[in-house]
Amino acid sequence: MTSAVLSPAEQPRADWGGGVSPFGVSWQKLMMWFFLVTDALLFAGFLVSYAFVRLAAETWPKQTDVFPMVKIAAMTFILITSSATMATAVGAAHRKDLRRAMIFVLLTAIGGALFLAGQVTEWATLIAEGARLTQNPWGPPPFAAFFFMMTGFHGTHVLIGVILLGIVTVRLARGKATGHGVEIAGLYWHFVDVVWCFIFPLFYLL
Amino acid sequence: MEHVTSYRTYWVLWVVLLLLTVIMLVTEAAGLPRLVTVGVILLAMTVKVVTIGAWYMHLRYERLSLILSVVLGTFATAGALYFLLIPDGLAMHRLAQ
Repeated sequence: MTSAVLSPAEQPRADWGGGVSPFGVSWQKLMMWFFLVTDALLFAGFLVSYAFVRLAAETWPKQTDVFPMVKIAAMTFILITSSATMATAVGAAHRKDLRRAMIFVLLTAIGGALFLAGQVTEWATLIAEGARLTQNPWGPPPFAAFFFMMTGFHGTHVLIGVILLGIVTVRLARGKATGHGVEIAGLYWHFVDVVWCFIFPLFYLL
Repeated sequence: MEHVTSYRTYWVLWVVLLLLTVIMLVTEAAGLPRLVTVGVILLAMTVKVVTIGAWYMHLRYERLSLILSVVLGTFATAGALYFLLIPDGLAMHRLAQ
């Protein structure tokens, strides 16, 4: 039996055959997406363990009696607004309007810093009222433990995002940032907002 | 895949996201039946997440292979975790009563 040897140009093209990008994105963007998926699973683990403990507990405090909901709502509005400013920055960067991109990335970073300030004061208030990782005045110990764990991890992500956006702002000011770079930073920032979209209703409202 | 969305779209979606958040807050405060409250809040949460993912993160413009890897990869794993653990949580709740 004989088989014809095909030249590379004659061989059928397959996305998974190598040589082309199966996802159609740059490796930097793909790695950011993969990182976000793994990071999302970290938060999914938190939320599922929270649901487990909450279901198993005999009682659970009413969140609106513990948390200042007006402040939490304001923090949520700030984070959503920062997502809109980030999307605008990415759009501007893709249009090569680097000045507008820099302004909106800076506004996003300021939004993130305001959110963090709100979270710091929220932690300080609850700690002053007796909340600890192992106990709290409102009921089952896991209540405060989950509060500190989930908002702490999320807040750390916001802090990293603010630092990242600060770097992007400086790079845009120096004319070194690209639309692609701003977009990848934007993916991270929107992810932070998506995580809050889960934490806010599941932990504070329901 | 690079796709440029209009600025106006981003800010219209911002209004939608804010309104959904207000709906969540009002629903929680309205004292509706628990099932209705949970349903409305979870629905609003889902719409918010899809909006941010599809438009702000531009996922709707990406190839299906990337969309499925991200969405199915995350939610299938998280869903499996949920359905493996939650029955035990419910059983412990029944035992405690």
